[in-house]
Amino acid sequence: MTITLTLKQAPAVPLEAEVLSPDVFAELSNAEIRALIVYNGKRQVPLEEFFDVDGERSDELVLHGDLTKVRLIGRGMSKGSVTVHGRVGMHLGAHMKGGRIEVHGDASDWIGAEMKNGFIHVHGNAGGQIGAAYRGSLAGMKNGTIIVDGTAGLEVGMRMRRGTIILGGQAKDFTGLQMKGGTIILMDGAEIRTGAWMNRGTIISMKPIKLMPTFAESNDSNPTFMNVYARQLKRFGVNLPFAASEGIYQRFSGDLAVPGNGEILVWQPA
Amino acid sequence: MYWGGNPAECHPRHFTKYTLMQKSKFLPRGRKDRTMVLVDIRETKSAKASDIFLQVRPGKDFELITILRAMIKEQHVGDEQIAETGMTREVLDDLVHRMKSCKFGCFFFGMGLSMTRGKHMNSAALLTLAAEMNAFTKFVAMPMRGHGNVTGADVIMRWQTGYPFGITFNRGYPRYNPGEFSTVDVLVRGDCDAAFIIGADPGATMPQPAIEHLKRIPTICLDPHVTHTSNLARVHITTAPQGIAAPGTAYRMDELPLPLKPALKSPYPSDEEVVRRINAAIAEKPFWLAEGSQPQMITNQV
Repeated sequence: MTITLTLKQAPAVPLEAEVLSPDVFAELSNAEIRALIVYNGKRQVPLEEFFDVDGERSDELVLHGDLTKVRLIGRGMSKGSVTVHGRVGMHLGAHMKGGRIEVHGDASDWIGAEMKNGFIHVHGNAGGQIGAAYRGSLAGMKNGTIIVDGTAGLEVGMRMRRGTIILGGQAKDFTGLQMKGGTIILMDGAEIRTGAWMNRGTIISMKPIKLMPTFAESNDSNPTFMNVYARQLKRFGVNLPFAASEGIYQRFSGDLAVPGNGEILVWQPA
Repeated sequence: MYWGGNPAECHPRHFTKYTLMQKSKFLPRGRKDRTMVLVDIRETKSAKASDIFLQVRPGKDFELITILRAMIKEQHVGDEQIAETGMTREVLDDLVHRMKSCKFGCFFFGMGLSMTRGKHMNSAALLTLAAEMNAFTKFVAMPMRGHGNVTGADVIMRWQTGYPFGITFNRGYPRYNPGEFSTVDVLVRGDCDAAFIIGADPGATMPQPAIEHLKRIPTICLDPHVTHTSNLARVHITTAPQGIAAPGTAYRMDELPLPLKPALKSPYPSDEEVVRRINAAIAEKPFWLAEGSQPQMITNQV
């Protein structure tokens, strides 16, 4: 049994709907769900004003429509699933603790920001600050996995502490900015300033990338952890090469400005 | 140290009144006791006033500051990497030595740094460098503001809300997230359905999509003059110019408040009076939330 929500009309101003979360919906009847409060700008409106609600008492949510202006979906969720058919707005799955979110369309900025655990898969493109720390906060995502099939914006994984981000398309500037741990995998490389000010953590790029001047080349190798990674990631349909016959990883360490022990691994096909 | 700015032409009194020429108890010889470094992508008129001019490659400011951050911690950066920014090791070694051995250093950064690729992170880099320099000597950083009293807006927002800009009040308390709530981004995405503009001319400076959105929505503009913004606004209220015909307080670039006394009389009301009257009219309307309900804090959810 799932709960299906269909957007009636696109809101003119941002709709802050942190109640669109399996934790909230799990025990509620259809009428109670329709009466939940969302914020259209500063005004409190019942959910039914913007959504048709079908189903009740379930932790599986399916959303339809152009949700570009609907923000904070799945915020702080700890179980169940959210599936979005269409574009989705900012802060998707921010602070989430568990469960899974799937987006068949594009997502916006701050997806999975400061998440603690869980799984987010965006089939389209995403915005910036994926799994990042909010402004003024010291640590971004602490665990969990974010997969974006398309491109991503600025500051992906900014100050992330642990967890994995996988980008199928190209990322913009400042990927892994001030990273404190975790892994970012770039299947199609990134623009400039990748890994700037990183402290710890790993950035793996399948394409050559422009590095900061404060990174030092350390060695070429095929780290043993890579085949463990590759096996893990196969479940998500990501193919990470690791065999010495296929090529080798060039390793850069930095950022010297911090000075940090982060590493950037760039794949060199044989 | 001036970074990405041209004070000789944009802030002509800056050298003589504040940074270079003034004689003081500890710097009795004025200019001779000071060292000025200019970092810019081209040799502007300010270069003549400087002791050291560093021509950085366009778009390499962030890289250069990051190299300096590494060098002050005695980390080894390769010659090739230094050359990419348009510098040499000798020049940077000398600069780092001068920075560490000075008594009081100050960075002034302009739009050449804060408005080029990297934007806020370029400023963040310089601020971090200034913070880290305090392990060796006193160092501060200060932005070279463009228009009058931009500093004032930041200062007031800061002590009123705790944040300088990019704030939303829609939940009844201030929330800060530049990029989401900052004016340009809100307008470019078309997130607002009305705009109230006071003491600014976004119609002249903002990107085209933002201007298009201002034209679409009801825009109210308070300005003494006819500006680009007032031309596209639905309502333009002419006000008395601050400091000339209306009293007020302006903040100098170093956040020193300066009271302004009007020299002339104006038939128009001041900005303050207009806003006060609008506030009074709004207060008569019913509260926007239902009886007895409160805006819900977003943090309760986590």
